[in-house]
Amino acid sequence: MASVSFQNIEKTFGTTKVIHGISFDIQDGEFMVLVGPSGCGKSTLLRMLAGLEEISGGTIAIDGRAVNDVDSKDRDIAMVFQSYALYPHMTVRDNMGFSLKLRKVNPAVITERVTKAAKILNLDPYLERYPRELSGGQRQRVAMGRAIVRDPKVFLFDEPLSNLDAKLRVQMRSEIKALHQRLKTTTVYVTHDQIEAMTMADRIVVMHDGRVEQIGEPLELYDKPDNLFVAQFIGSPAMNVVNGSLRRANGHAYVECGRVNWPIPPGPGADGQAVALGVRPEHLALAGAGRESVPGEIIVVEPTGAETELLVQVGDAQITLVTTGRPNVNPGEKVGVAIDPGAAHLFDAKSGQRLATA
Amino acid sequence: MKRALTEARLLLIGIPVAIWTLLPIYHLFLFSISTKDEAFSGRLWPEHPTLRNFSIVFHQEHYFLNHFWEQLWNSLVIAVAVGFLTLFIAASAAFAISRLKTRGGRAILNCALLTYFIPAAFLAVPMYKAMGTYGLLNHQSALILAMVTIAAPYAIWVLKQASDKLPYELDEAAKIDGASPLQLFRLVYLPLMAPSLVAVGTYALLLAWNEYLYAFLLLSKDTNITLPVALGHFLSADDSPWELLMTTGLIYALPPAAIYYTFKRYMVSGLTSGAVKS
Repeated sequence: MASVSFQNIEKTFGTTKVIHGISFDIQDGEFMVLVGPSGCGKSTLLRMLAGLEEISGGTIAIDGRAVNDVDSKDRDIAMVFQSYALYPHMTVRDNMGFSLKLRKVNPAVITERVTKAAKILNLDPYLERYPRELSGGQRQRVAMGRAIVRDPKVFLFDEPLSNLDAKLRVQMRSEIKALHQRLKTTTVYVTHDQIEAMTMADRIVVMHDGRVEQIGEPLELYDKPDNLFVAQFIGSPAMNVVNGSLRRANGHAYVECGRVNWPIPPGPGADGQAVALGVRPEHLALAGAGRESVPGEIIVVEPTGAETELLVQVGDAQITLVTTGRPNVNPGEKVGVAIDPGAAHLFDAKSGQRLATA
Repeated sequence: MKRALTEARLLLIGIPVAIWTLLPIYHLFLFSISTKDEAFSGRLWPEHPTLRNFSIVFHQEHYFLNHFWEQLWNSLVIAVAVGFLTLFIAASAAFAISRLKTRGGRAILNCALLTYFIPAAFLAVPMYKAMGTYGLLNHQSALILAMVTIAAPYAIWVLKQASDKLPYELDEAAKIDGASPLQLFRLVYLPLMAPSLVAVGTYALLLAWNEYLYAFLLLSKDTNITLPVALGHFLSADDSPWELLMTTGLIYALPPAAIYYTFKRYMVSGLTSGAVKS
């Protein structure tokens, strides 16, 4: 059993408070991703769990045991750093076995554990090499191997893929996910990349300015974002948001933005309320005849091969639209933009909180 | 054309400087292979070059050279001791200030550097008095301690700057792996600092090897003094054997040259790795 629990965690650097009362639990064996923009406090939270930062307030518990005053080495955790942090003067084998060597474990046991970890990560041919003789991806695998050898209760990953090129990142993502499925160790993974979060997590914690915005499964965050921040952070390209006034009349509802009226299904919200309407690019379509739509003008056409991204001017707003067809349109053309049913999100304009997902 | 002009200008400066630097050394060599009569003849090369002087020195056949080997040994022992002691103190201090980030570390660093405001020559007499109080006069440890005091601040400073260049994640990774500060120092820090350690150790060693003033003040017995001090006694007589003096000087200069040559790879990198903050 290796659950992790954060209770009312606070962190202050000098006089600046960076983390404001964060509480959540991680189940045993869960792959939890902390995601958010730079400076939101996710790395700080991870480092407090690792014991590399003092906890200013609250309690962190691993397996029900409070670890606030416990040394890093006694918390039974292993960490993979963004910059790998491999010991340059030791071979891959020595790097991976270092923690066991410090604990004066039997050399035969060390060799066995290192060999096993190397096999899992395909590092067998590199065991006698030095870190400077390895590529970025190989170094990252050595860093993971170093963590695996420790057989800890919790794996901590601090933006491990940020230093890799895009193609390698995609490959390593699936490798880490496969590793987790195989070892089933509780994992806390910090990243600023929402795609990594969506593809790898069992649950995601979206953080912003030292606070938790929303916790939930990836698709839950995608389908039902609690507030504007989560709505615009999750999903790529980002959700389109237009500000306007909600109008309800005769059973119809629409959002009035300047001269454009966006049709929405009936739901909560008062007439005249200032709202933000959010629709994901993939839930917009070029309207055929007879479909309820808003008028727009195409600004840019960006084909990516599998999809086509269109930048459309609708009223005063620029809307991104993604479609899988290959529409025969050109910049300057007038088109109609339609919202897929059930795909409009309404948020209160002032607080950013969700009113309804219609 | 412009390049040739720049080259010419540099050569114009470089050649005189080279001659200026090498001439005394050549002079030294000249004296050591000349006989007593020919030493001051002013020739570029002696008529009868001889190795007899070296023989006299090695066999301790002159009054002033009676304890040559013992004094050379003293120099060696003191220099090596200063090198290692300075290294130990500076490495530990740099580790504490740079990696452990102990409170007051910067203050200690600045205080240490403040000691350089007063030239070592001015501190010689107070040092004499201090050693007298401790009863260490005429004992080798007096000179060792004095030289460590002079060498340590600079050594700490260089090592601290070099330590700052090591990524801090290494310490964190080691901490999570379970390393105590002492294990971190021994297994991670020292191996990575090796070039700087070599450079600083060599610097301290050669500082002590070449020291005259403190050695002269703190040591007096013939069998205790270092070779430079013994050479100083040469000058007390009316009729000094200059050629023997130069020969001994040449012999004394060989170990530093050898050390510099062996570690020349580290000398520049080791000292400059702490110089520029990146």
